[in-house]
Amino acid sequence: MAIDSDVLVVGGGLAAITAAVSASREGADVRLVSHKASTLRQASGLIDALGYVPATEPATPLREGPPTAGRELDRDEWPDPEGPLADPFEAVDRLPETHPYRTLGADALREGLDLFDELAGDAYRGGHTDRNALLPTFGGSVKPTARYPAAAEAGLASDDRPALIVGFRSLTEYDARAFAGRLEAAGVPFDVAGAEVEFAEAFRADTKVTRLAKALDHDEAIDGVPAREALAKAVAPHLHDVVDESGGVDRVERVGFPAFLGDDRGDEVRAELADRLGADVFEIPMGPPSLPGLRLEDRLYDALDAEGVRFETGNPVVGIETESDGRVETVAVDRKGRETPYGADAFVLATGGLVGKGLDSDRDGVREPVFDLHVEQPADRYEWFVDDAFGDQPYARFGVRPDERGRPLDGDGEVQYANVFAAGGVVGGADAAREKSASGVSLATGIVAGRQAATEATQ
Amino acid sequence: MTRHTDDDTDGAGGERDDGREARASPGVPAAGRDEQPSIFVPDDGEPSEADASAERPATDGGVESATGGSDSTELDPDAYDPVDVFPGGDLDLREGADSCYKCTSCDTSCPVAEVDEEFPGPKFQGPEQWRLKRKDDHDIDESITSCSNCMRCDDACPSSVPLSQMHNEARGQFVEEQMEKLSVEYIRNRVLANYRTSARLASLFPRTASFAMNFGPVRWAMDKALGIPKERDFPEFATETFREWWKARGGAQVEDPDKRVAYFHGCYSNYNTPEVGKAMVRVYEHFGYEVMVPPQKCSGTPMFANGMLKDARRHAETNVESLIEAIGEGADVIASCTSCSMSLRQEYPELFDIHGIEDVSKHTYEALEYLRINEDLENELAGTQLADEQSFAYHAPCHARNQGLSRQAVETFRDVDGVTMEDVGDSCSGISGTYGWKSEKYEKSMKIGEEMFEHMEDAEGDVGMTECPTCAMQMEHGTGYEIKHPLQLLEETVAA
Amino acid sequence: MDQQVDVVVVGGGSTGCGVVRDLARRGLDAVLVEKGNLTHGTTGRMHGLLHSGGRYAVSDQKSAKECIEENRVLRDIASHCVEETGGMFVKRPEDSEEYFQEKLEGCRACDIPVEVLDGEEARRREPYLARDVEKAIALPDGAVDPFRLCVSNAADAREHGARVETHAPVTDVLVEDGEIVGVEVEHETGPGKRVHREPGTTEEIRARHVINATGAWAGNVGEMAGVDVEVRPSKGVMTVMNTRQVDTVINRCRPKGDADIVVPHETACILGTTDEEVDDPEDYPEEEWEVDLMIETLSELVPALKDARTLRSFWGVRPLYEPPGTGTEDPTDITRDYFLLDHGERDDLPGMTTIVGGKLTTYRMMAESISDHVCDLLDHEATCDTADAPLPGSESEARMEELMDEFGIRSPVARRSGQRLGSRADDVLGEYDPNPIVCECEGVTRAEVQDAIGDAGSDLNAVRLRTRASMGNCQGGFCTHRIASELAQEYPEPVVRDAEDELYQERWKGQRHALWGRQLSQAMLNHLLHATTMNRDGDPAHLDTEVDFGAFDAGSPGGPAGADEGGESGTAAADGGRAADDAATDGGRAADDAATDGGRAVDAPTTDEGH
Repeated sequence: MAIDSDVLVVGGGLAAITAAVSASREGADVRLVSHKASTLRQASGLIDALGYVPATEPATPLREGPPTAGRELDRDEWPDPEGPLADPFEAVDRLPETHPYRTLGADALREGLDLFDELAGDAYRGGHTDRNALLPTFGGSVKPTARYPAAAEAGLASDDRPALIVGFRSLTEYDARAFAGRLEAAGVPFDVAGAEVEFAEAFRADTKVTRLAKALDHDEAIDGVPAREALAKAVAPHLHDVVDESGGVDRVERVGFPAFLGDDRGDEVRAELADRLGADVFEIPMGPPSLPGLRLEDRLYDALDAEGVRFETGNPVVGIETESDGRVETVAVDRKGRETPYGADAFVLATGGLVGKGLDSDRDGVREPVFDLHVEQPADRYEWFVDDAFGDQPYARFGVRPDERGRPLDGDGEVQYANVFAAGGVVGGADAAREKSASGVSLATGIVAGRQAATEATQ
Repeated sequence: MTRHTDDDTDGAGGERDDGREARASPGVPAAGRDEQPSIFVPDDGEPSEADASAERPATDGGVESATGGSDSTELDPDAYDPVDVFPGGDLDLREGADSCYKCTSCDTSCPVAEVDEEFPGPKFQGPEQWRLKRKDDHDIDESITSCSNCMRCDDACPSSVPLSQMHNEARGQFVEEQMEKLSVEYIRNRVLANYRTSARLASLFPRTASFAMNFGPVRWAMDKALGIPKERDFPEFATETFREWWKARGGAQVEDPDKRVAYFHGCYSNYNTPEVGKAMVRVYEHFGYEVMVPPQKCSGTPMFANGMLKDARRHAETNVESLIEAIGEGADVIASCTSCSMSLRQEYPELFDIHGIEDVSKHTYEALEYLRINEDLENELAGTQLADEQSFAYHAPCHARNQGLSRQAVETFRDVDGVTMEDVGDSCSGISGTYGWKSEKYEKSMKIGEEMFEHMEDAEGDVGMTECPTCAMQMEHGTGYEIKHPLQLLEETVAA
Repeated sequence: MDQQVDVVVVGGGSTGCGVVRDLARRGLDAVLVEKGNLTHGTTGRMHGLLHSGGRYAVSDQKSAKECIEENRVLRDIASHCVEETGGMFVKRPEDSEEYFQEKLEGCRACDIPVEVLDGEEARRREPYLARDVEKAIALPDGAVDPFRLCVSNAADAREHGARVETHAPVTDVLVEDGEIVGVEVEHETGPGKRVHREPGTTEEIRARHVINATGAWAGNVGEMAGVDVEVRPSKGVMTVMNTRQVDTVINRCRPKGDADIVVPHETACILGTTDEEVDDPEDYPEEEWEVDLMIETLSELVPALKDARTLRSFWGVRPLYEPPGTGTEDPTDITRDYFLLDHGERDDLPGMTTIVGGKLTTYRMMAESISDHVCDLLDHEATCDTADAPLPGSESEARMEELMDEFGIRSPVARRSGQRLGSRADDVLGEYDPNPIVCECEGVTRAEVQDAIGDAGSDLNAVRLRTRASMGNCQGGFCTHRIASELAQEYPEPVVRDAEDELYQERWKGQRHALWGRQLSQAMLNHLLHATTMNRDGDPAHLDTEVDFGAFDAGSPGGPAGADEGGESGTAAADGGRAADDAATDGGRAADDAATDGGRAVDAPTTDEGH
């Protein structure tokens, strides 16, 4: 017998959770199945909406003729993007027509962000304004984002208080001095210095940041000194490193650390460091492994639990059964070699993109493996890319193309299954990376897909 | 023969291991097949092993099915699988190294790396180490022995890198080729890995054993001599094992050739918590199942975790042999321990090429999972209520997570009157079978468990719940709570 | 200032590096000039096969004999650049038996040690060989790291007084009264340029003799001198697999053709190759069919290749040469032998010798003969010892245990470092503490990266080639920024940023040819990491437009930036504010206290907060 629910959400990331919650708030009985732990844990924890409108045409046209990828002499140049954008919403109309924001409308984004604010609660900031925030990330550049962890707030680039960036010799992700130099190059309105200090040296050089977070959480003794105090001691000598325009010494009012300041007790750790240093403390969003991403994942799954959504991770969806009228009746979940049918009246596909394996590919083409939905793509593999790594990469826009209700369309623009809706990375049309729109797309498509699925299921 | 519950089961291989005179009571596998004197003889000293693994490596990779992979692909060079052609050939894990794109989700999910800076994390232990090795490089980094085999990394990897399989293989290789065979650590690990052996011996005189094993001086000696932390209480040994109880009650009380399950009770519910096994029987009989209890040995979980792959293989051969017979009689295999079901489902076909092993994997389920799939539990439970109100602090075992079961207990009982279920979060209990039973790991084990302990104390209830016996051990050790298995709660509700 | 030397060698490939080493050891005053970094041209773009000679045993026995001879020499003098993998010529049912026998006899005739294996034995040694491979000839092919080899030669040359100039393209060949008297080079500027003289300046290097060792580019240098050198550049693709499907060199045993060799190289396997004549060695199409051909054809020998992960592909141009008038149609028929063109004799323009053709395996022999030639011209009496003197790094075996124990490096990483650094391992790895891993895929630690930076400067591609950092499965996605950060101690921020971009783009270039399946997922993850999180594409630091920071969110009301009240960090701000004022007035004693007595000065508020 099948395991039934009104709405079945396939996937476990931001889009899947958004869809599941919005569906259940429409009164649907919702179940969420995901194969693996969500890729949220790879994410920086920032919630982007729209930061740039990137160029879609190279400054100099590409060489004529068949793609050869041998154009090293005239690597296509790409114009600067429009941005960083202070207002993510007003720019939506300037995105390509196939962009999910264009299909679903700017309001979907707005509502998605509202729902996120509610789920994330006081752990996140930025909900007080429509404007984007500019935050320094571990590359040393500032990036526009719509919502950010409370832990990162003191790092806002529009804040003019002098700042110190702290780096650690045993952590290779960035060099604090280059970091500070890059912020200056960006023209930030505050004085900044970078200091490489010793603290993590107490651990092995390849110690994981989760280990450092744990040590701070529990204030473990490091060479006899409690971790938090040891960290403060390491930084204290640099509190006057900042030099202002006039060449005068400047006492920093905020100190930035790589995002490993505790896990469970992050607030407590930051507060103690702030007290010891007499300056605000903020976390710099990092690449994976990313504690802010982990914290967000925990937070969202608690919210899912609170909504009464049933969920399970660990087994993949491997196939579907359709009814005579072409609606999907059940999907098959592979439980370690044995396929179990899961039935629902409506399905939300939120399995992610190329990274989350919601899209699969080989030399012949790109596929959506669960429902075998149509994926827009150039036939020739050598048309999937352009030569500039940061150019308008066609592969970055791969994915299914939904209608305004979030239902994926086939090659002829017809709805493929009346009761299947798509959300998140599996949806194409956006270059989420260059636009800084990944989370926004997940939230917007997620809330629409969830609602529409619920409507479909409960009507 | 329909039920593996009577005398002739001993024949299944009673004399295989050391030819000792095998005569045991019905329903209980004979002495001799159970008690591997493994720790007292060098690894290859046992005739049984000579047969079992002299011409084969301890691990030889899974093949597609009972039909025996290599033969089936003989004619197709493209489907060529190097693993099963040459005994001794390395398990082919290049595929795994190819699938890794470094996202480090595995590292962020590793409970050991979180407390042990000496442990470089699953990504290094698995795909990186594999890629950096060449054919003739055989030096596995010693840190592999710090992996607790909780398998959370498997669940974390978006690219399906077979991390735990890579770790098992590397650990096996390290233990085989680099670990000093007479070292205390090796012997201690072997004792722990072969828990079944000590347990079987102990349960002959349960009270003495429970006392003696926890008797101060003895424990001090163990700590010093074997490196088994004195802080730990050895589990109580039941005065009547599950199999003894099963035999005493005369085996199954429901017979239904169309509704059969073969119960893999594992060592723990047999020797230490027979009440779980009894609950399983009563619940399943309530739903009209005919329960079979085939002869069985250790599922291998503790052996994998200690790199004792040859021991694990030997036990696996018996388990597969008798379970495949039960399956042949229409049964599905049910385990009440999520590590046992994990082992039969995933590690067996990954690591061993034994005739029928894939079929055992396909037919194995965890006890509650099976009922949720095949019975309308929600309706069953709708009416019921628990006599005296109780709220439970539920911990999902890591191995349950990998089977998609981490929420089943909470969701099953959420709406039952008188029951409050609180999920204490996705942290690891830290014991990981035998990991927490090593002095050098004890503190780390407790540090890993800390988060769970705290969440349990925060939780309303003062009774813990989990599917995994060693997690239960740790939960009890850390909080002093009584710990129950979902089957026991199910018994108190539907089967009451 | 200009310099008068004995010899200037143009071209920093294997030949040039070999020549300058040989000349320097013979006591001549020599300069090497290279327009890019070492191996920039052809040498750095080959499959890294150390020939046993087997490939030429039928078609070109002279080359075959030279190969096996030099093969033995290199195992000896360049042990840290060579992996003695051994090789096989394998025969499939459809391959000709006659040719198999010819190959066998050819090898014997050239004194190449061979062993004939049946299919089973071949598969026992290489389990990934196809089931239907009938038999094979085993012989001493090997893998060589061309970059490490060139760097060691250059290093040895320097130790013997030579000068090595990279990023110094020749802009003119100086001809005075019918004689070549030197070259003019430009010292380039820009990111990643390792320049020894003043960047942007030109320099005349006057020499008694000029050696044109620019391979496929020999024609261009010849032109500057006004002589005609007909090199026939021929391109070939090399496709890099993520892991080693085979651990010995696998050759297809048939006359000639594309896609007939798999070379295990470090952590990877390299599939080769095609042979297509091109007009311009700088600009030629890199085509899809070439990559597909490698995978399709070679999976006939090693089926696992079909679904294995491909990391990237790269192309090289062979400097094929044939005396005018030979007129060979198919480039694969052009001899692989090398030619020494003395322009005095050939074009009546003394002072320059061009060397073309040849192959990496015989680079030392070529260097020896051209050095003999130059010594004759300059009547310099000196004997060649390059066949016996070990290259720097090869003097002794690296000691693994010590690397692991003394430097606390994990075993496979230590093994790798040991193999890369050879006898230098102890010195290099002892340098840094802490010594974290910078590139996880290839197991490269900070010490190795810093050592390479010391040698190659901010040219991260040169650093990459020295260390293999960023050459693993993530192709730099997780380490370009880490490698660049290692520059920050010595170089200003803009250099760090540019060097990072340069390396990232270079890594992208090769990946474009592997953009499907797992590498496409990798590329997407890299894109998300570098564009989304690091905002490398939209970084105001290199946008033309000014950013109006005032227009962006400056924090929630009551947040840290706002008034004193607010969340937990708000309270901290209040304390922080006070401490800051103190600092302003009393020269920051508060902070000094914090520094000196472990922050007891500011402990009070902590305990007050009571957490």
